Amino acid sequence: MASTVASLSTTATFAAAADVLPMRRKAAAGRVWFPAAARRGFAVRSSGPATPPGISDQVSESIKKAEQTCEGEEGSGECAAAWDEVEELSAAASHARDKLKEDNDPLEKYCKENPETDECRTYDN
Amino acid sequence: MAISSAHTTTSLHSPCTTVSNAGFRQKQVIFFTSNRRGGRRHGGARTFQISCSVEKPVVIGLAADSGCGKSTFMRRLTSVFGGAAEPPKGGNPDSNTLISDTTTVICLDDYHSLDRTGRKEKGVTALDPRANNFDLMYEQVKAIKEGQTIEKPIYNHVTGLLDPPEVITPPKIFVIEGLHPMFDERVRDLLDFSIYLDISDEVKFAWKIQRDMAERGHSLESIQASIEARKPDFDAFIDPQKQYADAVIEVLPTQLIPDDNEGKVLRVKLIMKEGVKHFNPVYLFDEGSSISWVPCGRKLTCSYPGIKFAYGPDTYFGHEVSVLEMDGQFDRLDELIYVESHLSNLSTKFYGEVTQQMLKHADFPGSNNGTGLFQTIVGLKIRDLYEQIVAERAGAPAESAKV
Repeated sequence: MASTVASLSTTATFAAAADVLPMRRKAAAGRVWFPAAARRGFAVRSSGPATPPGISDQVSESIKKAEQTCEGEEGSGECAAAWDEVEELSAAASHARDKLKEDNDPLEKYCKENPETDECRTYDN
Repeated sequence: MAISSAHTTTSLHSPCTTVSNAGFRQKQVIFFTSNRRGGRRHGGARTFQISCSVEKPVVIGLAADSGCGKSTFMRRLTSVFGGAAEPPKGGNPDSNTLISDTTTVICLDDYHSLDRTGRKEKGVTALDPRANNFDLMYEQVKAIKEGQTIEKPIYNHVTGLLDPPEVITPPKIFVIEGLHPMFDERVRDLLDFSIYLDISDEVKFAWKIQRDMAERGHSLESIQASIEARKPDFDAFIDPQKQYADAVIEVLPTQLIPDDNEGKVLRVKLIMKEGVKHFNPVYLFDEGSSISWVPCGRKLTCSYPGIKFAYGPDTYFGHEVSVLEMDGQFDRLDELIYVESHLSNLSTKFYGEVTQQMLKHADFPGSNNGTGLFQTIVGLKIRDLYEQIVAERAGAPAESAKV
């Protein structure tokens, strides 16, 4: 184990990590080991699938409505409820994106049904 | 239970007599009756299942605000028990429930008494107790804990409406996650273990930027406005629940980088209540001592900004607690293994299980820092608690797995 000096977060040393990386990470070349750690600032704007248009419209509508409701009414129950709706829809949008990512990736889908196969091993030591 | 064992003819290895073996499948006998039991709001024929292995599910509560990592934690928890958690098959595609072999996770938003329109008309947020039906929540969690099947409403987060209910059968482990699992005293008393995810304002803002900036219509201003508008209700109704939690995971900005407010490097505290039945807090080196530890040095090389641990006794809302803290992040595999080997009372079943779980879900947010580490540890602690309770019920002396 001591010799396994594998990078967990940088793409630059991706190859060095090959012996501990799971098979399907190898297949998805270019993907980093800890995507969450690799997100830098607003780079997230351009990554991952888009929100389904229906929910996306709802989110932007709800923001507009909240801004209107809160004009001169900051601190009112109506204003809080309007921004709470924005939060609820933003969370729903995020979940929808995650689901889409899963559904769109044939390997993810295959591995969900066949987690024991070689291609789907997620820990290789 | 005598009835169910009489009907369980399908399995040679009847779960009725199995003490604890995470991962086996339950054999269930299904009865159809026209009795109305427990279902207050919906008449007609009812289905209930008697699961032989289930006498009384162990009930776990997880509280956190929206967008603060409840789903990630649940995925880690169900993974510790083996098998992936999936939405109920063939049910409402917008169901909020997740089911695995051992565990069923329900979202407490399903107990909203006011739908989105209702809340807007009355000017209350979902955080407000007036928007939630605690009587029904209590009745149904109690029914599940007693081994009964329930018909739970579904709150549809996309439409903002209450959809027709879904049938939930008692699992081995029943998790209620949401805004208010510890708000109502009656519900709180049903919990065998409770967790609160306490995300500091700075980190919450950073996480929501990460989640929402890609969304059309959102801006830094709208993200800030939403957090601020919800804050009074959050402080009044959600935050006070942390005093009741058996374990609190507190997420703060790092102290390793001066004036860092990017929320990329995190300082995470695991606050563990002392004296909780079936729960032995994790410790570093020497139980009960105060320790500050920088694992990076001659034996372990870490990259900037490094890793820092702290451990020690403390008080939290008048309770004796043990606090384990990690600041910084893991960049390499050997750092994680090194840290795991220095922690005690982890309730792992084999050496390296924490590391294995973290690597298995390396794509989940927080897998390289204290949030992932402590969520994994709490997951192992819950498995241990479950196994102790089952062993106790079976009359065997509780023997927890410790490495």
